[in-house]
Amino acid sequence: MALPNQQTVDYPSFKLVIVGDGGTGKTTFVKRHLTGEFEKKYEPTIGVEVHPLDFFTNCGKIRFYCWDTAGQEKFGGLRDGYYIHGQCAIIMFDVTSRLTYKNVPTWHRDLCRVCENIPIVLCGNKVDVKNRQVKAKQVTFHRKKNLQYYEVSAKSNYNFEKPFLYLARKLAGDGNLHFVETPALAPPDVTIDLAAQQQHEAELAAAAAQPLPDDDDDLIE
Amino acid sequence: MDDLEQAILLASDSPAAAAASPAVRAEALAYCARARDETPPSSLLHLCLYGLASSPHAHVHFWCLQTIHDALLLRRRLALPDDLALLRSSLLSLAVSSNAASPPFLRNKLAQLLALLVRFEYPHVYPSYFLDLIPPSPPLPGPTDMFARVLVSLDDDLLSQDYPRNAEEASDAGRVKDAMRAQCVPQIARHWHEAAVSLRAADPAVAAVALDAARRCISWIDVSLVANDVFVPLLFDIALSPGSVAPLAAAAVGCLSAVAAKRMDARAKVALLRSLMSAQKGFGSPDSGLKMAHLVTAYAVEALECYRKLGSSDADGAAALEMLEEVLPAVFAAAESGDDDEVDSGSVLEFLSGYVSTMKAPTEKQLGHLGQILEVVRMQMSYDPVYRGHLDVLDKIGKEEEDLMAEQRKDLIALFRSICRVAPGTTQLFIRGLLVTALSSAEVSVEDVEVALTLFYRLGEIVGEEEIRTGAGLIRELVPMLLSARFSCHTHRLVALVYLDTISRYIKFMQENDQYVPHLLTVFLDERGIHHQNAHVSCHAGYLLMRAIRLLKAKLVPYLDTILQSLQDALVQFTATDWANKDIKFSSSEDGSQIFEAVGLLIGIEEVSPDKQVQCLTALLNPLCQQIESLVMDAKAQGLEESSPRAIGLQQIIVALTMISKGFNERLVMGSRPTLGVMFKKTLDVVLQVLISFPNVKPLRSKIISFLHRMVEILGISVLPCIPIALRQLLVDNEAKDMSEFLYLINQIICKFKSSANALLEDVFPAIASHLSVILSHDAFSNGFASNTEEMRELQELEKRFYAFLLHIATHDLSTVLLTPSCRHYLENIMQLLLITSCSHKEISHRKTCVQTFVNLIKDWCSSSEIEDKLPGFRVFMIEKFATGCCLQSVLDKSFNFRDGISIALFGEIMMAQKVMYERFGENFVVNFVTKLREAHCPPDLAEQYYQKLQGSCIIYVHKALPFLRSEDVYCGNIFTEPGYRGKVP
Repeated sequence: MALPNQQTVDYPSFKLVIVGDGGTGKTTFVKRHLTGEFEKKYEPTIGVEVHPLDFFTNCGKIRFYCWDTAGQEKFGGLRDGYYIHGQCAIIMFDVTSRLTYKNVPTWHRDLCRVCENIPIVLCGNKVDVKNRQVKAKQVTFHRKKNLQYYEVSAKSNYNFEKPFLYLARKLAGDGNLHFVETPALAPPDVTIDLAAQQQHEAELAAAAAQPLPDDDDDLIE
Repeated sequence: MDDLEQAILLASDSPAAAAASPAVRAEALAYCARARDETPPSSLLHLCLYGLASSPHAHVHFWCLQTIHDALLLRRRLALPDDLALLRSSLLSLAVSSNAASPPFLRNKLAQLLALLVRFEYPHVYPSYFLDLIPPSPPLPGPTDMFARVLVSLDDDLLSQDYPRNAEEASDAGRVKDAMRAQCVPQIARHWHEAAVSLRAADPAVAAVALDAARRCISWIDVSLVANDVFVPLLFDIALSPGSVAPLAAAAVGCLSAVAAKRMDARAKVALLRSLMSAQKGFGSPDSGLKMAHLVTAYAVEALECYRKLGSSDADGAAALEMLEEVLPAVFAAAESGDDDEVDSGSVLEFLSGYVSTMKAPTEKQLGHLGQILEVVRMQMSYDPVYRGHLDVLDKIGKEEEDLMAEQRKDLIALFRSICRVAPGTTQLFIRGLLVTALSSAEVSVEDVEVALTLFYRLGEIVGEEEIRTGAGLIRELVPMLLSARFSCHTHRLVALVYLDTISRYIKFMQENDQYVPHLLTVFLDERGIHHQNAHVSCHAGYLLMRAIRLLKAKLVPYLDTILQSLQDALVQFTATDWANKDIKFSSSEDGSQIFEAVGLLIGIEEVSPDKQVQCLTALLNPLCQQIESLVMDAKAQGLEESSPRAIGLQQIIVALTMISKGFNERLVMGSRPTLGVMFKKTLDVVLQVLISFPNVKPLRSKIISFLHRMVEILGISVLPCIPIALRQLLVDNEAKDMSEFLYLINQIICKFKSSANALLEDVFPAIASHLSVILSHDAFSNGFASNTEEMRELQELEKRFYAFLLHIATHDLSTVLLTPSCRHYLENIMQLLLITSCSHKEISHRKTCVQTFVNLIKDWCSSSEIEDKLPGFRVFMIEKFATGCCLQSVLDKSFNFRDGISIALFGEIMMAQKVMYERFGENFVVNFVTKLREAHCPPDLAEQYYQKLQGSCIIYVHKALPFLRSEDVYCGNIFTEPGYRGKVP
């Protein structure tokens, strides 16, 4: 799934599609991985950046070709045409913007229409920002659709590896696969308030026990 | 078309693009964009339809379908009726002839486009979409699959409530559903049934898609089209048949769940649920729970809802409860299966909690169910054995697992708690069963023991203190059982920790039942506690032992020797200089030092005889002091690096001494058992030698300061002679952070010894003042308070301590110190600082501290006669500078917020200051102040009133004039004159 002119590798590699509203931090997120950033090819030809991100697992190296469709959200480029042959995906929203969470079902639907039955991770980004608009307990979409959810902060590297580890485990069919080496990450731009984050994670756990709302109207007050 | 086809292939990730250069591909993408955006609508449609018919490439088909979809949806082009008719007929024929082997993404894209046409044209423009698309009988895989995908797309893009919809979409959805209900829904339902029957074996994947489409429609069609005695048995058969592939079985379960969850009146729902129950023999069996987890959960939730709505006195309500209880075994089996993909454990848990909450006095049968729910809780709270090793050494993976489990357990514990409240007896029996099993087998796993103990521990949180004390229920039996327990896996960190915590949780029982005290001590002292092979467990045991001693005190006196003997090696180990080499990171609080506190507490118990106390304390303190002396001697010869084993050894010893001293108080040490005081005094001398020899090893110094705090506390006034030398040493190489610690100690000394500290303070004040004038110089804050750095925080902390220091001096009869010749030099600066801070510091609490300081200084230094003033000029300074700047101008400033609690408190202090100034300075103050009031344009009658009120006793009225001067705050003037005002702004 490498782009043309991009070196292919002799270890398992997967096409990962990363989608979500503009400004949710998709590009910042994939750029935290320094090796990928170094090797990435900007392909204005097809309006998409492909970052090869390598991870070292106990079963050997694996590579995700991250198709970052930044700037293509609205119209132009090939849009859902880029999802074709996608093998796994990350849907990103911004916890400081309710609208970006409200649009998650639409991204999920459009993705699943092209890529049936692929592992998908939902990521709530920017959890380092104090003024959160989407509280952990309001995030229920992943439970309806059986996705994995992680709170991440691209700027502080918080939980950077988690989505990739989940996808790697699903793709390898090995729930015990783990990363044996931390990839080189750009140094964090901000430090996350761990106490506050633990509070959110606690909320998240508490939310897991709540019934699913019929719709997400409770987000719009 | 050939060019366009070429361009599409070059722009995508197709193999054809591999050889092309970026420039060529940029050109290709631009070509595609031009074709899409600039071709006239009719031509574009023809171009795309041609591409669909002629190109062999999936990427090209996808692009063509997407382009038409965009043209229709986003641009509303292709408006010509002929174009639409052509499009419709082409797509319908493509769909009807669709081959189930073509890539799913293409079939979905075609379905999406058809769904869009349905939205725009059905039924008013073209009423036969569904009649054309419903596959004829017998259904073939290709058309069946395509038809299902159209329904799924229609649901996704128009009907489903899961996506944001605008008003236009909502009205289109209503129109489409109404027309379908009137025209073809029964026919479609028949098709689903046929497809399920004929394709379940021949093409299960297609049968699954058809049933998935059915599931999505059930919420808005007549439910009896599915919930009937033909379809339901078929769905159960597919769901439970061993021959069904997983996606097909899941689709059947999905349909049944949608039927169960269909919104309707509670009585109708009871009838529906009853029909589902009777359609499948053994519906409530564990087997059915394993195979249809989603259904049984949805069913149970609905039955519970009906029961809640109708109540137990209603026949249907009672029937709902019966059905609920009948399906419980299946729910339990589903919950225990732990299959995350199939079971939404959150909703199961929610249901179980809801069910438990309906119980008040559970019946026998319900008690049985509660027992089973407890088993579900137990299973879901259990660790996965895969992580056993990681959890023992607590590496990164183990830590993650532990955190994850802590989160997962929160809701389970809440459920456990509610069961415990409803059925305490059942809960205790359950736990006894777990403990008996855990103790009876040598094979029992770490995970089982851990979860059994955790539940027992949690039980202790829920039952009252009184029940624990008296050993109510089974506690009387369980606690002794636990005390004598030794599990085969006791070496595991998790087991050992929760074991100790559980014992501690029930310690009140031992308090009432002396005979178990020896058992308790054995637990703490043997290899289950302090002598556990895992250092974390050992430290935790030390901490818990300390707490036990605090609680049991005198009951432990008979065991004093035993305890000390058992702890001997642990005590020695803590202060051994090779300690630093141990590769263990401790949490800040449990570093192993608590065993010294434990020992201190034990020896300090008043029931221990004085001789025994002296003997024990000697045995404890002497070796430590000798160790210090020898380390100091070595260090003097060889130097002392901050992180050297020697420095760390010294720190450990001083920490140990500090902890020991926590067991003693001044009354004991200086009053009833002065010999002990002498021993601590000697120890203090030894520790001071460390400070004298190595004043600038900062971590060490910090530990010594902690020790000094304790000595001030227990040795009382006798400590004073030692202090000056310590203080001088502490000022060596002293930065903001060190100065803060230093001031904290000084403040403690001032508060404790008051005027007795006069000489000491006089001695040390000049050094403090000159040091602070450097550290807290104006330049230090030149970066502004906004800069949120560690250094800035340290400076702010120091500033706060310094103002507290001045206030302590002023309130504890020590203000004369400031007037002594050696301190006089700094007085001018200090007065200016107090003035500026009280007028304008950003931190309102600092302002308040400074105003309070001034009030005390006025009281100390000024009497009603100016001649007797202790500090010439102070009176004038206060009247002219302070009264005007702080009491008038700062309050008039807009930044003074009368709605803020701290500001109101400051305002109270300012009023107090005026009252005191009036008392001491009389007319001089008033005349000046009233003049200033007039200058600030206060109406003469108000100024006059102010003067009169000040002479009176009611201070509340004094400031009527002030807020009045701030026109926007006129209401404040009223507030403060309200008789009921108590310092709060409404």
